[in-house]
Amino acid sequence: MTDPTDLTGPEEAEALAAEYALGLLTPPEARAFEDLLAVDPSFREAYARWTEDFASLAETVPEVAPPRDLQARIEADLFPAAAPARQGWLQRLGLLPAMAAGLAAAVAVLVVLNLNILGPQAPSFVPGYRAEVAAADRSLIVAAAFDPASGALRIDRQAGAAPSGRVLQLWVIAGDQPPQSLGVLPDTAKTDITVPQALQAAVKDGTLAISEEPPGGSPTGLPTGAVLATGKVTAL
Amino acid sequence: MTTTADIEAMIARMALGDRAAFSSLYAATSAKLFGLCLRVLNNRAEAEDALQEVFVKIWRNASRYQVNGLSPMTWLITVTRNHCIDRVRARKAATGDMEEAADLADAAPGPEAQAIAASEKGRIDDCLSQLEPDRADAVRRAYLEGDTYDELATRYRVPLNTIRTWLRRSLIKLRECLSS
Repeated sequence: MTDPTDLTGPEEAEALAAEYALGLLTPPEARAFEDLLAVDPSFREAYARWTEDFASLAETVPEVAPPRDLQARIEADLFPAAAPARQGWLQRLGLLPAMAAGLAAAVAVLVVLNLNILGPQAPSFVPGYRAEVAAADRSLIVAAAFDPASGALRIDRQAGAAPSGRVLQLWVIAGDQPPQSLGVLPDTAKTDITVPQALQAAVKDGTLAISEEPPGGSPTGLPTGAVLATGKVTAL
Repeated sequence: MTTTADIEAMIARMALGDRAAFSSLYAATSAKLFGLCLRVLNNRAEAEDALQEVFVKIWRNASRYQVNGLSPMTWLITVTRNHCIDRVRARKAATGDMEEAADLADAAPGPEAQAIAASEKGRIDDCLSQLEPDRADAVRRAYLEGDTYDELATRYRVPLNTIRTWLRRSLIKLRECLSS
């Protein structure tokens, strides 16, 4: 499409940003605009402004309740019979085929034994809870065990690392609460974190998550980078 | 009443894999987003499929939301609108009614984008009403129906370059009004 460049400077930027937001550009024009977005904050601002303004057009569209079963269909799609964390652990030990439901007690013993060789020997550490905090593609796997008596959270990073120039930060999420930081993980694979009293209940019954953050950790108190791995805490 | 802060918190928790937050977000926003899918697609079965794909996308991209500088409802609306427009266009392309169009982005201007204060709600309608009716209509059609310049040129019976020139001028007028 020929470009009717009857507009100049800032007006041209505004018009392009609006056309991009509406989806009126041809594929090559859209790619060229995306190159501008990548390097020029003023284009990003113009695009964000149009996006906000156009979205208010959708506010006038009447709401319609979706069919009742749709949420269940979506959740079945998103969370297909999610393998419990313990099963992943056993799979990596190569024991899954031998497992039967009645062996649960033996499993607990195995897991405890395995945790005990994770880190520096600390006889006082008695894990009562554990989580496997793993990426969906298993590019990052962190085993965590929590001793409710001492409040120690033992961490063993078994696969993966922080992206270059970034750090890994550990979070706990309990129920409806926003994520709360448990601190930045050190470069070493194994470490013990002392969980503050206020967060111990959350750690026993929550989800652990790891995000990548700027050095020193998230400046906002909430994750700012990509969330790389999550795992539900289970009682042993 | 679900506030902006509530929706932001739900998305933040979804980014960390919290399924309860997903249920809360679905309860708070699915009627609005389904209404939008129906408006754009004008077909109930397709709108259901689209809404399902949209919520899968929102779950998977929740961690990207926190850095994209948009208010949370704008992000959800834009992901939904863009996904539905892509579907409409794929449908038209499949029947040979349209040339290839660029896929719409998931509304992530980039990590350094400042949070933009949206123009007051209702302002865009006020400002559109200051344009000539067919030009305001063309902007609405492009946003809510995904009309391309080709389709708009055919609808308003003007040459392609002309439609683009007058729509771009209308957009500049609209920006002036929205910024005033």
